[in-house]
Amino acid sequence: MRVPDNFVYYLSAHADCNARLLARAGDFTARDLEVLANVDAKRLRKMVFEVLAETHRMKAFVRLKPLGCIVLYGYLKTRHKIADRLGDHFARRNPGTIIVLGNGQESWISLLCDSRIMREHGSGMTETLERLGSGLPDSGEGRDNEAESIWKTYYDSQYCPERKNLRLFHQRMPRRDQDSAGLRLAESKENVTLEDFFAKI
Amino acid sequence: MVTLEKIAHLANDCKFDSLGPEAHVNSEKLSMLGEGTRHDVCASTFSPRSPGLPGICHSFTQDGRCVSLFKTLYTNHCSHQCNYCTNAANCSQKARAFTYTPEELASITLSLYRGNYIEGLFLSSGSGRNEDVVMEDIVETARLLRNKYAFAGYIHLKVLPGASLSHIQEAMELADRVSINLEASSPSYMNEMSATKNYETDIIQRQRYIRDLMGKADRMSRLPAGQTTQLVVGAGTESDMEIFKRILYEYQEIGVKRAYYSAFSPQKGTPFETREPQQRWREHRLYQMDWLYRIYHFHPQEIGIAFNEDGFLENADPKMAIARQLMDSPADPNVASYSELLRIPGIGHCSAQRIVSLRKKKPIQGKADLALLGVRIKRAAPYLKINGWRDTTLQMWSA
Repeated sequence: MRVPDNFVYYLSAHADCNARLLARAGDFTARDLEVLANVDAKRLRKMVFEVLAETHRMKAFVRLKPLGCIVLYGYLKTRHKIADRLGDHFARRNPGTIIVLGNGQESWISLLCDSRIMREHGSGMTETLERLGSGLPDSGEGRDNEAESIWKTYYDSQYCPERKNLRLFHQRMPRRDQDSAGLRLAESKENVTLEDFFAKI
Repeated sequence: MVTLEKIAHLANDCKFDSLGPEAHVNSEKLSMLGEGTRHDVCASTFSPRSPGLPGICHSFTQDGRCVSLFKTLYTNHCSHQCNYCTNAANCSQKARAFTYTPEELASITLSLYRGNYIEGLFLSSGSGRNEDVVMEDIVETARLLRNKYAFAGYIHLKVLPGASLSHIQEAMELADRVSINLEASSPSYMNEMSATKNYETDIIQRQRYIRDLMGKADRMSRLPAGQTTQLVVGAGTESDMEIFKRILYEYQEIGVKRAYYSAFSPQKGTPFETREPQQRWREHRLYQMDWLYRIYHFHPQEIGIAFNEDGFLENADPKMAIARQLMDSPADPNVASYSELLRIPGIGHCSAQRIVSLRKKKPIQGKADLALLGVRIKRAAPYLKINGWRDTTLQMWSA
């Protein structure tokens, strides 16, 4: 993985970032972080990569459900401060659609309209969706699980038993990141682990 | 920051239906046609278009493969007689035949894309009774997605063997990538695998059509992610050297972006049912060989050293085999050129670039510096001489 030129942007989103670290980062270029071996460079590089990795996985793992015909919402609870960036990403992907990402405590709302992104940071997702839902033209009820059931059928059809490699599967779909996006893929019978069993009791 | 009410008001003004058409799905059809593409290994979603699309991975199956595309057949009905395929006309245990309609397929794709399950569509197909009819429906599906539903995701369309030039052109105008599977490395091996496909006219000629259309000045058929191809490894009796020669032709003459290799596994009811499944490592070694040519720019003659006298790759890293033969003296990372660094086992193109960057600032002092740059020291050490020091191994003494 390469250190991006705007690495300070990612560093500032790290849960453990502070003003002293940001000031220290000003002494380095992205290239320095890639090749230098001193303690500061190594620590900064590690922090940038942690934010990049979580951003990448959340873009992939968050599932969006429709509410009415102009809202898509998805569960999100990240370790780093990346929720508003993820909201912007999904808003760009779905122009003209309100994107609500959130959990029981807070929510992030984004909309791309006329090439501009509008944002709001709200309270719990349920409350935000209730506020939005009251003014929506169509409830879209019954279609919530349409994509989910299509996906489950399709996902199962892609599995090649002769290539089974659970080590790689767990490495690429870490349980921690699945939890952040509310995914429950690890619970399918084929790939359940002892860890999953103990988590349930 | 704007208020929630204002955001809702603006979204209503956009009058954009986020749901798209409702997808009425027959799950047996979805499953059967999805299964038909399990052995197609291409999962790339990178398309250098403007504005760019992020090529991100989504889910992984339990075999560790990325599922970032809705990969499906348009129909599993096929008139070809391919001895390795469960959809072939000569398969004795053929599954029930299913076919999508363009509208149905477009609505499923849209539904999955909006839910962030996929990055795009990968559409392949059996040839049906007439490949031109199926090809027309494939193009129609892509047209619906792009023109009616303003679908901005990635589209990879398979060109069916024997498809007409006009259909290929239409597919290229709508897709990010098109591909036609070679399956075998030469006409004689194709005859061994399929009695109905003509290697030269049905496949290679179609690849040339794509190449020529891409080179045309009007740029309508821009095809940002280029054309690719795939071979079934081990269904025929060809050697790795023969596969390599064919792939060289594909890269140099046809201009394919990349080739994929899928290890053969025998399917029930097919004429090849009793053949031995191909070892996964053969597929892996072919990818390594491909990487050496495509990314590290090794000369074909250098790569030729990695093959044994029967023309097969051993189950060992081909780069290491080449280094053992060609690297007479160890290289000093402080003075070796970028291409010399790439020839050292354990140094990839990222670590080679980092070495070149670091030594502009300060000389490389030892193995610890290299380890930090991502060099796999255990593999690289016998081929390195840092500041006059070199690691010796028992192998060297015995040599």
